[in-house]
Amino acid sequence: MANLDALGVDSRAVSQEDKLARALEAVCAVTTDAGDLATYGRDWTKVHEPRPRCVVFPKTTAEVAAVLRVASERGAPVVPSGGRTGLAGGAVAASGEIVLSMAKMTRMDEVDVTGATVRVQAGAVTEAVHHHVAPAGLTWPVDFASKGSSQVGGNIATNAGGVKVIRYGLTRQWVLGLEVALASGEVLELGGALEKNNTGVDLRQLFVGSEGILGVVTEATLKLTRAPGEQEVLLFAVPDLPSVLALFREARRGPFVISAYELFTDVCLARLERHRSVRAPFTERSPCYVLMEVEAADEAALEAWVTEIFGAGLATDGVLAQHGGEARDLWTLREGISESLSATGLPHKNDISLPIARLEAFSGELASVFSSRYPGWEIAIFGHVGDGNLHVNVMKPDAMAKDDFLAKTKEADLELFRLVRAHGGSISAEHGIGLLKKPYLHYTRSEAEIGIMRDMKRVLDPKGILNPGKVFDP
Amino acid sequence: MKILVPLKRVADPDNANKVKVNGGKLETTGLEWKPNPFDEYAVETALRLTENGTNPKARQGEVVVVTFGPKDTETTLRAALATGADRAIRVDAADDALDGDLVARALKALVEKEKPDLVLLGKQAVDGDSNQVGQLLAEYLGWPQATFAGSIQSEDDKSLVVGREVDGGTLKVRVTLPAVVSVDLRIVAPNSVRGKHTPPTHAYADGVRFAALMAIMAAKKKPLAEVKLADLASDTALKIKYTGFELPPARKAGIKVKAVSELVDKLKNEAKVV
Repeated sequence: MANLDALGVDSRAVSQEDKLARALEAVCAVTTDAGDLATYGRDWTKVHEPRPRCVVFPKTTAEVAAVLRVASERGAPVVPSGGRTGLAGGAVAASGEIVLSMAKMTRMDEVDVTGATVRVQAGAVTEAVHHHVAPAGLTWPVDFASKGSSQVGGNIATNAGGVKVIRYGLTRQWVLGLEVALASGEVLELGGALEKNNTGVDLRQLFVGSEGILGVVTEATLKLTRAPGEQEVLLFAVPDLPSVLALFREARRGPFVISAYELFTDVCLARLERHRSVRAPFTERSPCYVLMEVEAADEAALEAWVTEIFGAGLATDGVLAQHGGEARDLWTLREGISESLSATGLPHKNDISLPIARLEAFSGELASVFSSRYPGWEIAIFGHVGDGNLHVNVMKPDAMAKDDFLAKTKEADLELFRLVRAHGGSISAEHGIGLLKKPYLHYTRSEAEIGIMRDMKRVLDPKGILNPGKVFDP
Repeated sequence: MKILVPLKRVADPDNANKVKVNGGKLETTGLEWKPNPFDEYAVETALRLTENGTNPKARQGEVVVVTFGPKDTETTLRAALATGADRAIRVDAADDALDGDLVARALKALVEKEKPDLVLLGKQAVDGDSNQVGQLLAEYLGWPQATFAGSIQSEDDKSLVVGREVDGGTLKVRVTLPAVVSVDLRIVAPNSVRGKHTPPTHAYADGVRFAALMAIMAAKKKPLAEVKLADLASDTALKIKYTGFELPPARKAGIKVKAVSELVDKLKNEAKVV
């Protein structure tokens, strides 16, 4: 591009826009196809209209760095983009940004069986990593419903959670090393493949969960663990929330390893049944249900435990999957909820977490606030109780107009967030902040904390080109 | 009413990627098993016929489940006992020493010993898809048969009205007991089975019931008898000989076309389908 003058072309006639496009095209594949822009410009939130400038598809870390250098020089904003399954708008490009897609960076190296690690590029799909390491008897225990689309880089950038957090923790715990490209184009290797590395401030963890505002994850050394043994799936009918928590206390001390402890209410089950045909687990309905998945249960010990649970009245009924097919049927009851809520009505979603000890008090207050201020609103609650994480879905009353409902949910959210704050909880447990929760960040993080975040952003991305407008305003 | 339900375990089709063929034989070690779904429907049907649906804990008849296979097939029987069957029989045999005809002949001997009013079974097993045992058994017993039942109505202890799934509709037949009935998918719809003891207003949940935790434990104490195959069939020679197994060929990767015209061209000239 630099020798345009030499070719006798009047450089003033080449617009800044064209220069940027050509500079990017010199690095890697670029598309401005309208369909691609619409696809790559948004995540699973369908609130914002996608409007990126272009989408670039680097294949190597060097190409990512080159794209960032070009963008930095011209002050062009960049949205790092993975599988785009996020629920907070973190990967939305609605203001003419360059979408930096990791879709072509899918290399997975050979598994290091001795060290139980694997090095992958950021665009490797979560499920592909699972399949890649399974023959070695290992797994990367980051697991959730969207694993067929979500990518390692996105999981890291959002510190993804999911259904196995109770056993394995968050993505953060399964990343040994990170390669990160900074806005300037400088590439950092953080952590390597070391389990132990106590040498100053851990910069690697700074990038985990940073939602693409501090740097772009290009490669990662993932920590693996042995694949779990045979799992038993149980479903309990539980009379109320205190019993759900009491049952959880007993399960924690039970003769097994819990890999999932999931709650859903009868409101959720009724919506699921309205939407699709499912196998009814019990002959009688119950206010709450708990799905529990456990490993390595000594059969006799598990039975003794179950007998105690029923003896104590913590559950009124329970079933145990007799084979893999039944286990899948039971999981459908939990994993089908989100889709069924959207199919049978208009849910307003919130993803909150609380200290487990406060769940009961919080839920009681939530119910009374909503029944007095928003009578007739149906609240569908499900989630990962074991992690103190509830998905609170407020359903639009059938008779209420959509706009009216959306306006009122804003006000209701403030009530909800005030309660969350009062109980020491978080307004976004695992979905992140992105664009959607940005106005409410201060309900969970103090002004001092947000100030430090801003300072860090300025140090790592002085021109503010990385995912601008996400998480907090400059 | 006393009902005998023959059950078969099959490899879990959702784990099909684990099936291996070794030297022309199916490798069964390491497979995950589940009951043949149509047999699960037969157990559910038998339970619905012999209970009051509004109070299923009080049984109004006897349901006996039987399977053929090695010791570990008892898991399949225990699961049926846990959903409500009263007792179980395992006919000891190796998986590859059985075929539909041998099973039907052995069942005939078992039926003569147990004297059930009804043999209820799945229309076919989803592994071999042979669809033979019910028909052969009825023939060997000289009993009436109603296959592919989508509905059953029990008005008295002498006969059943069976709605058979046939091409283009339902064929209603009345069979005199004792009889052999094989069941199809729709038999587990909420109102498909009309037993004597359940009020006509009662609607069942769609599908097969889950085993309750307490019932699973109680099922361990229910009687499970073992019978030798040779005690039921003097001739254990097989009529079906499998000459070999092979996995279906792997699918070729697809291609991307650049334009609709290219697609049409390929459909016309390469695939020759339009």
